[in-house]
Amino acid sequence: MKTNRRQFLSSLGAAAPVAGIVHSPAALGDDETLLSVSNDFADLGVKSFINAIGPYSSLGGAVMWPEVIDAMDYAIRHKIRMSDLQDAVGRRIAALLGTNAAMVTSGATGAIILGTAACMTGGNRERQERIPDTTGMPNEVLILKSQRYLYDRSIRAPGAVLVEVETEADIRAAVNERTAMMFYLQNRPSNLALTVEAYIRLAKEFVVPIFCDAATTIPPVSNIRRTAEMGFDLVCYSGGKGLRGPYSAGLLLGREDLVRHARGNGAPNHRAYGRSMKVAPEEYLGMMVAVEKSLQFDEAADFERQLELIEQMDASLSSLEGVISEIRTPDAEAREPYVEVRWDSSRYPIAVADVKQALRDGEPSVEVRALFLSDGQLHLTATMLKPGEAEIVTRRVREILLGSGVV
Amino acid sequence: MTGRRTLLKGMAGAVPTGLIGASTQFVNAAIPEAGGRDYFAELGLRPFINAAGAYSAYGGARMRPEVVQAMRFAASQKVRVRELHDAVGARVAELVGSEAAMVTSGATASIVLGTAACMTRGDEARMRQLPDTTGIPNEVIIQKKHRNTYDRALIVPGARLVEVQTEEDVHRAAGDRTAMMFFLLPTQRGDDIPAVRYREIAAELGIPTFCDAATTTPPATNVVEGAQAGFDLICYSGGKGLRGPYSAGLLIGRRDLVSFARRHGAPNDLSIGRGMKVSIEEYIGMLVALQTALGISEAADLAFKQGRFERIIEAIHDLPGVEVSTFVSGGHTSEMYLDINWDTNKIDLTREDFVQELRDNDPSIEIRLFAFSGGRIHLSATVMADGEDVIVGEAIRRILRAHS
Repeated sequence: MKTNRRQFLSSLGAAAPVAGIVHSPAALGDDETLLSVSNDFADLGVKSFINAIGPYSSLGGAVMWPEVIDAMDYAIRHKIRMSDLQDAVGRRIAALLGTNAAMVTSGATGAIILGTAACMTGGNRERQERIPDTTGMPNEVLILKSQRYLYDRSIRAPGAVLVEVETEADIRAAVNERTAMMFYLQNRPSNLALTVEAYIRLAKEFVVPIFCDAATTIPPVSNIRRTAEMGFDLVCYSGGKGLRGPYSAGLLLGREDLVRHARGNGAPNHRAYGRSMKVAPEEYLGMMVAVEKSLQFDEAADFERQLELIEQMDASLSSLEGVISEIRTPDAEAREPYVEVRWDSSRYPIAVADVKQALRDGEPSVEVRALFLSDGQLHLTATMLKPGEAEIVTRRVREILLGSGVV
Repeated sequence: MTGRRTLLKGMAGAVPTGLIGASTQFVNAAIPEAGGRDYFAELGLRPFINAAGAYSAYGGARMRPEVVQAMRFAASQKVRVRELHDAVGARVAELVGSEAAMVTSGATASIVLGTAACMTRGDEARMRQLPDTTGIPNEVIIQKKHRNTYDRALIVPGARLVEVQTEEDVHRAAGDRTAMMFFLLPTQRGDDIPAVRYREIAAELGIPTFCDAATTTPPATNVVEGAQAGFDLICYSGGKGLRGPYSAGLLIGRRDLVSFARRHGAPNDLSIGRGMKVSIEEYIGMLVALQTALGISEAADLAFKQGRFERIIEAIHDLPGVEVSTFVSGGHTSEMYLDINWDTNKIDLTREDFVQELRDNDPSIEIRLFAFSGGRIHLSATVMADGEDVIVGEAIRRILRAHS
């Protein structure tokens, strides 16, 4: 073990460029430097993999823009007072995105937690230092029953209580002096009993702040503006996914007063609930540059790049007898095309979950979408694929299907 | 109740007509080209020379080059986060001689996740339930003298503090509702029950102990010592004395408790800690920071800082009435500071005005806060960059001479 550690360090030292940063967005592909890095990770016992699933947190998120890494490098070298940095970057991001105010959080979850805390505590310092004990303060958050999801867990983290509603009558009955916030999950599901316009109108009528989780709705980045104009008081986004910013960063956009209170509940304030959700100076600045780059990025061209890979994977798989693959281009959520793969189970007697596991365990290891994220179906995405990887993914899927009937 | 109404009223006034999209411009222009951008100048921000120390509000420590390099590499690498956490955790544990370890988003997160772990012990239903602790042991025993600003983190996952002063107090307080016994290292007010005795009582009672040792580095060897001291969990800041990433920290201790703590944290969605994200580069950076810091002897580290201070001493030692010397803080940390004092009969300047003049200087300079220096003028060398020592020396000379 001792030798391994030394190898890890020495190889890091040897391979590290003296100046500048290794720019390795997916499109740039491989070079010697990258190769030695993957060896370092291998030495640490961490396996690299082909990502045909997307920029999920558990897989390290998206590949940052090279300019983001440059900005992070700059912020590491130059020291700045955190509050000055938070003020300036907040103003800049708000101006870029056309919102009243903005802050960088430790991810979309951090934004949900701080936004909820802001709606409960306002600017009251005593309350900010006391949550999750919410005695004597509004702590009820209205949520549409059909929009309950995995991450609504974070709304409760600072001490809020979820109140499920379905109809306008439910909302009228539920709103009271304990109501702190109304919550909305952008675009999911698309067929709600109550229209989003009606939901927002009710929030305005009752003067209850309304929070929108739009974490996964980018690309296209133009969704930020569209969502901002709908009338939500707060909106949050993931930073390390569609915007290709730092992994542990996110955005909270919205009303100046609420964003200020969210900051009051966050790091580095000593006695804030959210002091643990630290955002480094380099992440703060990196997030700003990620927004800039995303606004300039030719999303249509990247969509075409992805679609080309998707078509290629679709062609390769549908040529296999007993396999039906279909290209899907959803536009409700993040606009990411994918291939949905189904097969005749009498010909290929293998379950979707087992294909996913076999892909993961294989060489090279491949991650694909299956189970709850894709309604039980096998999905292949191209967002994170590097040149040459689409062929490997389809080859592996074919091998696994063809091998499934062999006893 | 009235509070609610006041809050609503206050907010109603602030609701802009166009709501959050009030400003209609969607500024896609005026984004400067990349490459050699001076971001802080663009933002109208004045960087400053940090001769104060690695405070979070000042952007933390200056990471060692090895750490920055490792982060640059890791920033473009994608790995399964769980595997990375396993591997780095095992490596840190091996380095410090503990059963287990994890990288957190800072010492505060270590306290939150560690406390949550002791309260719920891996019970999924209970993990989901936090911060509602109905039916869950949620009392944390803390010595009255160990109460501090940062103990706020203990109540974040829903714990309640029970203050004790004597051993009898501990025995009286301990019961079915007790989740953890907290200990602070070091304390400015001492301990009523010393660490060894505190741990013995906890062991007798079968209660896990947690030690907040966040500020006890440098030297990094204190982490090894702390990890082996016998606390069930112990935590450290990553972005301060260890000179690791700003938003990173360590949680070290018993295998079962660390595994529970990990399940409370990012990227898991079960509990309260998904907001406390740690990036791949921070995970790797923290490991390399610890390795690097452990590889540098205390003597070498102090010699390096002495070298920085020598340039300042050289610049001002000849000024009449000025006394300047370095010293190493005692107790649990050994950090070197430069102490500057002057005869106010010869130099007509208060310490407060001196601090303000340094702050107003171009470039702006911050020194150690009076709250930590006991009102004396102290400088820290740990965050200063190459060459900044010379600038600081010149600035101090200019200011002191102007009042001579």
